[in-house]
Amino acid sequence: MSLPPKGRPVFLKTRRFELRSLKPSDASERWMNWLKDPEVMGPLNVPIRTWPSQELKAHIASADNNQRYLIGIFDLASKVQIGFFMVDVELFHRRANFNVVIGEKSWWGKDVINETRAALLDEFFDNRGIEKAAGMPLARNFPAVFNYKAQGWRHEGTLRGQSVSASGGPRLDQYQFGLSRDEWHKLKRERVR
Amino acid sequence: MNADGVSEARTLLAEAANCDAASIPDDVRLGRFEPWDSLAHLRLMLGIERRLKRQLDPDEAVRIETLADIAFLVGSPQ
Repeated sequence: MSLPPKGRPVFLKTRRFELRSLKPSDASERWMNWLKDPEVMGPLNVPIRTWPSQELKAHIASADNNQRYLIGIFDLASKVQIGFFMVDVELFHRRANFNVVIGEKSWWGKDVINETRAALLDEFFDNRGIEKAAGMPLARNFPAVFNYKAQGWRHEGTLRGQSVSASGGPRLDQYQFGLSRDEWHKLKRERVR
Repeated sequence: MNADGVSEARTLLAEAANCDAASIPDDVRLGRFEPWDSLAHLRLMLGIERRLKRQLDPDEAVRIETLADIAFLVGSPQ
């Protein structure tokens, strides 16, 4: 089986942040601490566990900047990584599925996600051939739901009992949010007015 | 929707957003009022659930965008 081709790395700047495709050398103690913190990872419904450095490096290396992106969010002032996006692209459907983690809690509630995701939406819609963006937060992940709605994404559906809970308990509901390229461009025009 | 429901909605949002209730515009909307950020939204939803003494159904939760939406929930017979 051949590996998918490597794409162009992402490198973007926003008012407060730098976004760039991550490299295995970006694996850090800071990042490994996020992965074992239930407050950080629990809302994503992924198992909370310790990731050995080599495993995290291999995970980062699996991103090809074509079908799978791992994009770090770096504070421009301190140059410290505060979180990351995972973007999975379905090339045939020209669709990008977004997930994001803000690991540094001091940045929670400070509009990091929508500032940085806006730049990524521009990049994927305008430069990488994407026509539809999608996100599937857990219904109980209220901050994530807030961010999708505040950014103008459309609630397209509620998926009841969609996922097994990684921490035990009843199955979890999820929302499907979506945003088309045309909708994004229209939103931007309206906000400029 | 009654006046008590709107007043209670305003109080819940003010507590969640750490702001003065009087500073909340009547036409406040999620994403258009700076104190109503993502963490305030989390506190708001948990505040509504405490008031209702139950978890919000996902269809209820995703509709909350305005004072009227909050008032509709907290002012409805449970």
